[in-house]
Amino acid sequence: MNFELTEEQQLIGQSAREFGKEYLEPIAVDLDHTGEYPAKIIAKLAGHDFLGLLLPAEVGGAGAGFASYVEVIENLSRYSAAVASIVNNHTIAALALELYGSPEQKKTYLPKLAKGETLGSLALFESGPTPGVGPDALTAVKHAEGWVLNGKKAYVRNAGVAGVYIVFATADPALGAKALTAFVVDSKTTGLKVGKLEETMGLKGCPVAEITFENVVLPETAVLGTVNQGQAIAAKLLSIFYVAEAAQTVGIGQAAVEHAAAYAKQRVQFGKPVAVLQAVQTMLAEVATDVHLARLGLQNAALLIEEGKPFEVEAAMIRSFLVRLGPKMMLDTCQVEGGFGYSEFMPLPRLFRDIAGTVLLDAPGDYPDKTIAASIA
Amino acid sequence: MPNCLVCYKWTLDEQDIKIKSEDLSLDSSRAKGKISDFDRNAIEEAALLVEKLGGAVAALSYGTAAVKQSLKDVLSRGPEKSYWVADASAEQADATVTATVLAAAIRKIGPFDLILLGEGSSDLFNQQTAPRLAALLGLPCLSFVNKLEVEGDVVKATRKLDDSVEVVTVKTPVVISVLSEINKPRIPSLKQVLSAAKKPNQELTVADLGLTPEDLAPKAVRKSVKGFVMQRKNIIFKETAAAANVAKLKESLASLGLS
Repeated sequence: MNFELTEEQQLIGQSAREFGKEYLEPIAVDLDHTGEYPAKIIAKLAGHDFLGLLLPAEVGGAGAGFASYVEVIENLSRYSAAVASIVNNHTIAALALELYGSPEQKKTYLPKLAKGETLGSLALFESGPTPGVGPDALTAVKHAEGWVLNGKKAYVRNAGVAGVYIVFATADPALGAKALTAFVVDSKTTGLKVGKLEETMGLKGCPVAEITFENVVLPETAVLGTVNQGQAIAAKLLSIFYVAEAAQTVGIGQAAVEHAAAYAKQRVQFGKPVAVLQAVQTMLAEVATDVHLARLGLQNAALLIEEGKPFEVEAAMIRSFLVRLGPKMMLDTCQVEGGFGYSEFMPLPRLFRDIAGTVLLDAPGDYPDKTIAASIA
Repeated sequence: MPNCLVCYKWTLDEQDIKIKSEDLSLDSSRAKGKISDFDRNAIEEAALLVEKLGGAVAALSYGTAAVKQSLKDVLSRGPEKSYWVADASAEQADATVTATVLAAAIRKIGPFDLILLGEGSSDLFNQQTAPRLAALLGLPCLSFVNKLEVEGDVVKATRKLDDSVEVVTVKTPVVISVLSEINKPRIPSLKQVLSAAKKPNQELTVADLGLTPEDLAPKAVRKSVKGFVMQRKNIIFKETAAAANVAKLKESLASLGLS
């Protein structure tokens, strides 16, 4: 068993780290304050092939694997998790097309997504308990020329800046989620309206909004995969997304550990740096251990995805681990820095909000445990 | 169209080196390697020149066995081919030995119009390798270069000296050492990283280069390297009157020979 990254994977991680240091670190604080979508940075990311990392070379992607991808997301997140979140949401939409798209859909969208000329977005969630259920559920009604979509999608990331949305709608309201069907929807389609941007706790700069569909007419060729396959597609994509988001959490955690450790070395109390005090050492040691073990779990899940092996249980485990320990990493590192750590002029409050944004959205609280328990009992 | 060679050093990342508090020895067991910072500027300058004028860039490094780890990294930054000399002698090599090995390698793989290096290495920063290399090759040397223009076989370089800025022209071939301000090294794109594995690299051994053990023996042998830690004295003067505190401070400084 090899826990060592290959030379390419290390160099790809190094490239992302250098990119983060050069371009993300200087804007991270402003981005957190203004929440303005960082269009120039996204264009630069595209120039470095980060937006087409997982897509094959034939469509203009870099053709790298998922282990490289999580290296990139971790390293970008060390400097700006909001930017990493934009990349994650784009990539999962691109991956949806790569995995389930028809040759025509791939030809239309993948080259633009790989080059970053078009940004992708996943429109899955709704205000109801589960997609396809509830008063605002997005419905797709079959008609002679294709489909007509009506309803709303909630918490859509990259909303308003994406050029293509992977949209999940129920093709039969009576069946609800069981009839969930995925569609490829161009952002310029008549009847698609992006609502006001949500003010979120963290990951500011990654736009989040509700999208309303009013008599959106789509051709039959807009269906992604097959009719009623949406639930299976969503489950697969979310499992992959949890691993990508774990990389985001590990990156934020690593940044917090490094900041707290540097602070503890230079903050002198009782005549010596607080880094030599046992209580501080315990907190630093625990959080460094949490980040390290999370990274191992993350790399393991990423490698399984890359090798095409079953990975859903490991993805759920890393999600479960980080939902519990992500916020604790922030509490521990803030504690190390005391009152300063709590102050907005230090980076930890931003990291705290970003980690909340990463672990709170996207999954029902009991999701990972159900998956893990079902695999063992 | 210049035919360029960039010489670079594979060093330890100084940020990863820890100083052990008990004896100030250095713990580099967990330190990762990197291309020396100023050498990245040299690589970038060669890549920029070739992008503008055409020509070719190759890279050359002399180091311990670890130098092999640098090949994909350097090839992702512009050079089309890399040459490397891995030999245990590099552990103790001084600038004379390094320049001797590089010169021997260049005689074998050259000639080149422009030979670029960083002004100094990240670890030792002796600033000796470029001038010694030029002397061994019998070529002119331009150091402290922060701007470079090439037209045909004429190189125009701006040198940032201590008290002045000097603009010089010289005909190729020439050895040039560059300062960090000459450019901003690129961050390799993922495709550049992934294509690096497909570019050729060639090992040269010290035997291939006809070097003897005497050539590889440094004049000065490094016995140990220790870290430097500034110790605080933690003396607090607690007299009520400021003048008394000043007097005590003066006395304290005098006792340290600092008056």
